[in-house]
Amino acid sequence: MTTIVQTLELLITRGLPTTILLTLGLLGTGLLLGFPIAFTQVYGYRPLRWLCRGYEQLFRGIPALVLILLFHSGLARTFGILLPAFTSALLALGLRSSAYQSQIFRGAIQSVSSGQMLAARSIGMSKLQAIRYIILPQAFRLSIPPWTNEYSSILKDTSLASAIGVLELMEQAEKIYTRIQFTLGARYILLILGIVAFVYLILTYAGNAGLNLLENRLRIPGFEMKGKVER
Amino acid sequence: MKKALVGSLIILGLGLFGLVGAAETYTVASDTTWPPFEWADASGNLLGFDLDVVRCIGVLQGFDVDIMSYDWDIIFDDVGVGRVDIGASGATIRPDREEKVDFSDPYWTSDQAILVRGDSGLNIVIALSQGHTVGAQVGTTGAGFIEGLIDAGVDVALQEYTLYPLAVLDLINGNIDAVIQDEPASLASANAEEDLALVGVILTNENFGFFVAEGDPEGLLPLINAGVKQLKEIGAYDNLAAAYMGTDLEKVEAAWAASIGLLDAGDVEGFAAQMAALANE
Repeated sequence: MTTIVQTLELLITRGLPTTILLTLGLLGTGLLLGFPIAFTQVYGYRPLRWLCRGYEQLFRGIPALVLILLFHSGLARTFGILLPAFTSALLALGLRSSAYQSQIFRGAIQSVSSGQMLAARSIGMSKLQAIRYIILPQAFRLSIPPWTNEYSSILKDTSLASAIGVLELMEQAEKIYTRIQFTLGARYILLILGIVAFVYLILTYAGNAGLNLLENRLRIPGFEMKGKVER
Repeated sequence: MKKALVGSLIILGLGLFGLVGAAETYTVASDTTWPPFEWADASGNLLGFDLDVVRCIGVLQGFDVDIMSYDWDIIFDDVGVGRVDIGASGATIRPDREEKVDFSDPYWTSDQAILVRGDSGLNIVIALSQGHTVGAQVGTTGAGFIEGLIDAGVDVALQEYTLYPLAVLDLINGNIDAVIQDEPASLASANAEEDLALVGVILTNENFGFFVAEGDPEGLLPLINAGVKQLKEIGAYDNLAAAYMGTDLEKVEAAWAASIGLLDAGDVEGFAAQMAALANE
């Protein structure tokens, strides 16, 4: 029993802050980069759209672990750029998240019924005004459910940062169970892994609950995700 | 006004003195998941034979060390490019590793040992042949040994793991037939588990070395080599070995917690002697 308490304490004091920091950093980076890309993909000129599509394909197509190692060891070996492990993980996973998030926002913008744009233009708004006051607020509301998905996904991806030694939950768990094998026995490794899984579960649940609350606050009945209205 | 000026000059002077008087600090990378050479205790303190040897060398040669946990997979790359100054992680001196890093003189000789389930009735020869599967950590000399056997045509399979405890767990569960790892850790596993037995030692005579960036830009290798030599001369090396090899993990941790104050105060001999005494009582 004391092992469980000790393990939780170590995980929460040493691993958890970094995991939370990394998750928030990734969501922020992904948002900052992903939204402009989505916007460009919907409203931009064709060559810009192609660029965005290429970016999105690249960062969605490479496995997260490979990206992390490329940023950390690859940059160091090839260009002599030495980044701290946390920064490498933040950049690699952040760029990847921006690719996924750009698709979320693009889908949300495009699923706002085209009748909205028509109506806005017909009362005299310019395209930009229509986008800003009519389309985007609705798109924001529509993007919350898939964005909740992205949060869950990113939270688990942070465990990959342990591959380059970032001291987050998974790395801390490894430290604990490599010691446990000699003090209590190798079977207890499963106990430690179970506890870590539990912590991730709580984090996922808490985040999802928060985002669901936001979604409910903003919901307008009758204006959920619909397909494009044919004219 | 005058008081403030004098006051700030004094503080500046003290600060400068601190800067000049402060010892150089070097970062040390270690895969702290490998007792008894390097691991983290329940409070998160990093200890182990390799780490304490480095700390003692630091005290003897006049530099501070900042020990960081690092993943085994990238430790050679990162020390090689100089992201970290020193590597101390039970690393066997090997030609392919020497392409990335520079090694110190050998500070420890190790052999590989084979662990099996006690009830399997396997001896060392059978465990490494007749279609059995042997587990090892990726990129270790143990894994390399099994690969050598496979290349030579022996009927054995290699199962690689990111960390040794996962291999030991698989062995207990029956997914593999044996685990090959360095003798001290194998001994510790055999002692900790009732159903595992150590069935043999392969005299690979591997030499562990500390390692630094290629070309040793900071000039650390001469310091390290001299430090190890000094440690052996004053008997501290043997005491540390007696403290860490073949002893109960929790006893060593308690001994370390009780003795580290001596090392912080600069008493290398006292630290090592007390470690040996407390860990073996």
